[in-house]
Amino acid sequence: MKALLAHIEISPEIHNGFTDAMPMLMAALILLPFLGFVFNFFLGQRLSKTLSGVIGSATILGSFIIAATFFAQSISGSFTSHQVCLMDWIEVGKYKFSFNFLIDNLSIMMMLIITGIGFLIHVYSIGYMHHDEGFSRFFSYLNLFIFFMLLLVTGANYLILFIGWEGVGLCSYLLIGFWFKNQEYNNAAKKAFIMNRIGDLGFLLGMFKILDVFGSLNFSDVFSAAGGFTANDPAIVIITVLLFIGACGKSAQLPLFTWLPDAMAGPTPVSALIHAATMVTAGVYMVVRSNVLFALSPFTMELITIVGLATALFAGTIALFQNDIKKVLAYSTVSQLGFMFIALGVGAFTTGMFHLMTHAFFKALLFLGAGSVIHAMGGEQDITKMGGLSKKIKITFITFTIGVMAIAGFPFTSGFVSKDEILLADFQHGKIYFILATIAAIMTVFYMFRLWFLTFFGSFRGTHDQEHHLHESPPSMTVPLMVLAILSLVGGFVQFPHIFGGHDYLNQYLSPVVTNTIQEIEGADKLEIEILIATCIGLVILWFITKKNYAVSEFKGEYTGFKKVLADKYYVDEIYEALIISPFQKMSAFITKYVEVIFIDGFVNGAGKVAQVAGSYIRLLQSGHIGYYLFAMVISIVVFLLLNTIIHF
Amino acid sequence: MNSINEIIRTIPLNYYIFLSAVLFCIGVMGVLLRRNIIIIFMCVELMLNAVNLLFTAFSAYSSDPAGQVFVFFVMVVAAAEIAVGLAILVMIYRNLKTIDIDQLSRLKW
Amino acid sequence: MNAIIALSLLGIFTLFTGIFNWRKAMLPIVVIGLAGVFVLNGMDYFTTPSWYADYTHMVIFDRYAVVFSAALIMITAMLFFLCKQYYQKEDNNISDIYGLILFTLVGGMLMASFSNFAMLFLGIEILSIPLYILAGTKRLEVTSNEASIKYFLMGSFSTGFLLFGMALVYGAAHTFTLDGIRQYTDAHAGDLPTIFVAGIMLMLVGMLFKVSGAPFHFWAPDVYSGAPTLITTFMATVVKTAAFAALYRLLFYTFGSAKPIWFDALWGVAALTMIIGNFSALYQHGVKRMLAYSSISNAGYLLIGVIAMNTHSANSIFYYTLVYSLASLVSFGVLMLVTQDNGGDDSYTAFKGLARNNPALAGLMTLAMLSLAGIPPLAGFFGKYYIFINAMENGYIYIVLIAVANSLVGIYYYFKVIVAMFAKDTAPTKIAVQPAYLFALVVAAALLFVLGIFPDWVSGLMN
Repeated sequence: MKALLAHIEISPEIHNGFTDAMPMLMAALILLPFLGFVFNFFLGQRLSKTLSGVIGSATILGSFIIAATFFAQSISGSFTSHQVCLMDWIEVGKYKFSFNFLIDNLSIMMMLIITGIGFLIHVYSIGYMHHDEGFSRFFSYLNLFIFFMLLLVTGANYLILFIGWEGVGLCSYLLIGFWFKNQEYNNAAKKAFIMNRIGDLGFLLGMFKILDVFGSLNFSDVFSAAGGFTANDPAIVIITVLLFIGACGKSAQLPLFTWLPDAMAGPTPVSALIHAATMVTAGVYMVVRSNVLFALSPFTMELITIVGLATALFAGTIALFQNDIKKVLAYSTVSQLGFMFIALGVGAFTTGMFHLMTHAFFKALLFLGAGSVIHAMGGEQDITKMGGLSKKIKITFITFTIGVMAIAGFPFTSGFVSKDEILLADFQHGKIYFILATIAAIMTVFYMFRLWFLTFFGSFRGTHDQEHHLHESPPSMTVPLMVLAILSLVGGFVQFPHIFGGHDYLNQYLSPVVTNTIQEIEGADKLEIEILIATCIGLVILWFITKKNYAVSEFKGEYTGFKKVLADKYYVDEIYEALIISPFQKMSAFITKYVEVIFIDGFVNGAGKVAQVAGSYIRLLQSGHIGYYLFAMVISIVVFLLLNTIIHF
Repeated sequence: MNSINEIIRTIPLNYYIFLSAVLFCIGVMGVLLRRNIIIIFMCVELMLNAVNLLFTAFSAYSSDPAGQVFVFFVMVVAAAEIAVGLAILVMIYRNLKTIDIDQLSRLKW
Repeated sequence: MNAIIALSLLGIFTLFTGIFNWRKAMLPIVVIGLAGVFVLNGMDYFTTPSWYADYTHMVIFDRYAVVFSAALIMITAMLFFLCKQYYQKEDNNISDIYGLILFTLVGGMLMASFSNFAMLFLGIEILSIPLYILAGTKRLEVTSNEASIKYFLMGSFSTGFLLFGMALVYGAAHTFTLDGIRQYTDAHAGDLPTIFVAGIMLMLVGMLFKVSGAPFHFWAPDVYSGAPTLITTFMATVVKTAAFAALYRLLFYTFGSAKPIWFDALWGVAALTMIIGNFSALYQHGVKRMLAYSSISNAGYLLIGVIAMNTHSANSIFYYTLVYSLASLVSFGVLMLVTQDNGGDDSYTAFKGLARNNPALAGLMTLAMLSLAGIPPLAGFFGKYYIFINAMENGYIYIVLIAVANSLVGIYYYFKVIVAMFAKDTAPTKIAVQPAYLFALVVAAALLFVLGIFPDWVSGLMN
């Protein structure tokens, strides 16, 4: 039996004690969540909920500590990029696939986000899911999700990335349909699964094309060989477009975004972890990881910018008039993902990653805050029935407010810094992009303020029972909220603009892996000040508008005219139903009725019949008489020898 | 040893080959044509003895004792085989009261 | 070599436990003993054998032998876990049965490690003679009797041909050692004498009988379906693996350079075996007999691995036999449970509704069937894949085409079992399973899964 840790590939320049320990650490990092999954899945039901939750969280904490060790070592410069081979996997013809993992600054950053926020959300879930009968099942799925997500971001080739990619899709499916007794939730899960399959098909084809063009799926091979291609080489364009289709599915971009709002059927911690902070950003990560390829295809980059911009605007307008607290946040997530893709499209890969990080902080915070609100309201998600909660649930209110400030872009919060950088990059790319992105950003402020005022101000609009039931959540839920609130406030420091005395730490940290194609911005400092001033003015104006309209005691939440179109999400689901699903169903009915009967039944069953008939005769050879068998054997031997003689002499 | 080898070599090798081939074929024909299991056993023994003769002849002609040793292996194995075979035969006779192979065709198709 | 000696002693000791009537201790002794034998055998893996000089040119424990022996021991040990429940009602002779199984295993190991025709012959006979008895261990059942006598008559008959072939080869090469015969074959590769060629062909007949290649397969369906199911499992797994180990060793190490002589014959046998096995399996009503024919068709696929004969062949044959054995173990194991209480009804209808009342068994059976059908990512897929790729590398396209077409036919009858199990029909009652029994099945099924995902774990053991 081969040793599990078959061999270690070490980058030639650096070799020290830490790099020797890395395979073990890497294996532990990935396997800890998996062990948590196995434990909770098989033994969880027999144990107390507390133990099950503690084990689920502790494994993630362990992974986080390892990731933090990697981070500390990478900062101190003991290594820059390190490939670990945990196991050789399969050799198929000339292709060889291994369980190779890449530890570099990009993957370390993702590991930290996933395990860090993942840990907080696990802790939160202990409180949130406490009354659920599927408690241990929930934790086992969450742990499995973290396992696959870590595979996704640490894999050193597209195959491992793809395994993680499919795995997180599976976990997402399982968790959206977690309350499987509700058929609507199951449908939402199926929708997510199918939409993701469309994207995955693109990704898979992209992988085949990569294998075809480069002869390998290893990042190192592909990216070093990519240097030999010129910009807009057809092969690269095809690959990047296919990969981007994959990213669209996973990261809910136009036109494959409708599954994400429906995915809110899952428990709220799932929405926070999977459908806001981590899984949906996998597409962004994949594009950044392949930045060498994308940089070679300006066509795809332009496509990404346009799709991102369209998604940001489209989802932003839908979010304006939603009444379900989680739906607002969901469309907001789609819109913010659009922002990330805009940044990638204009070549500011680091900025995209930066926004990914800050968004992970504040959107996880908002979702968990929303979860806390829903918890307090006894499961109510409709904001028209809330109001005036600010005094009842203080900690939730304060932390949620910080989240709103961050996403709205209050000066110097994390959201302000990252969004500000995206707008600057857009400005560099073209004025029209800048204007459209600014509009999308203004809409963000509007719908977040609306949500905030409706939920926490005015007077309570729910039932008497709900009012009586209102209570603050337990510490296991509020502590993660506080941690995330702090991160949302100060998370921007890693990339604070020069003009405000900051430093671009993140840019430098990612520079070994990521090469931004956008040029240095002229007059950035001046623009920075202008944006700051404009932001302040805009925020004040929107504050008064939304306060007047939404900090109210009576709220119907019914709209007419264009607002109704927005509230009904542009009827995209209905359009898909009419244009794709129902023709598809009709076509399959047609195929079942005619093609299947004539062709499939006729031909395939015909072949089957022939085989059956042949079988019914061939089996008669077996007569059951020993004498006959012996005779047949001797005849066969004679024929055998005779034929052989005829052939050879 | 040499003298025995010389005596064996007085007859050409081909004669031995033909003789054992004929003996072997008689054995095969016996297995094919007879229906009584005991006679079939005996015919199988005849086949094995034809082989033994061949081993011995080759052994003598190449002055290599391995062939003769092999004959002992064959004889021992044949004895063991026949012992087992007769036991099976007894078992069948107890259940079916017959030792005619044509009566045994329940397993087919 | 130590492994074979220890195993023989273990077998004798097992017979003694029967005399002293240590019924409770018997199974633990055998299983622990087998574990010891496994370790002894494994130690040989790390020593380099001096080629054909060890043990006076009789046996050689190179990696080929050690790896195959390890698989044989492992599968046998798993079978012993099934023994207790299967022979629950058997009172008297259980130690004899255990002992005979162990002796059969000794024969199997000799067949994997021979370096002399004498040892090949002895190995085959040590393997076969206990099997003749084992096939008849249900003494009062006529089908078991019939299986036993059919196997015995045809087996001893084919031994005659094997021996005649050996005699003819000996006559030409004047030696029984594999390296001696190889040197002879290499030296005379262009103009081999007729008796040598006839010898090769007759030996092939004897060996093809053992691996149940058509048209020498007639014994197999009847014996498989007549013998007690546990012994059928043993024949489909351990015996088949040993037979292929011997066939490949014989052809590769001795007659490799005479390939043109036997290639066409074996090609035809492979094609015929697949076709007859698959098409006959298609029409069966009993699952046990279907599995018997399936075993024949799998021999056909394996023969492709034999004729490909390049540097990867030994590994691919080993991987295939191992995977096939595991899948057979699971499928026969579930079959035994299904038939144990219903009066021996092994038809497809007996499986109806299994998924409802015994989901674990249905799951195991599904895994085994999917693996046999060659559905990725189960190990059966990679088994076929390696064999086919190997043949393709040598340019044998047509036989691979035939094989692929045949495996499509195979999917039909394997899936028939799955469909029956998940049918919403009258369900068999809950089946009682002993923990040890379930353990063996679960381990085998898990291996099918794991080896499918990590085929390289075992497919490179002989390098």
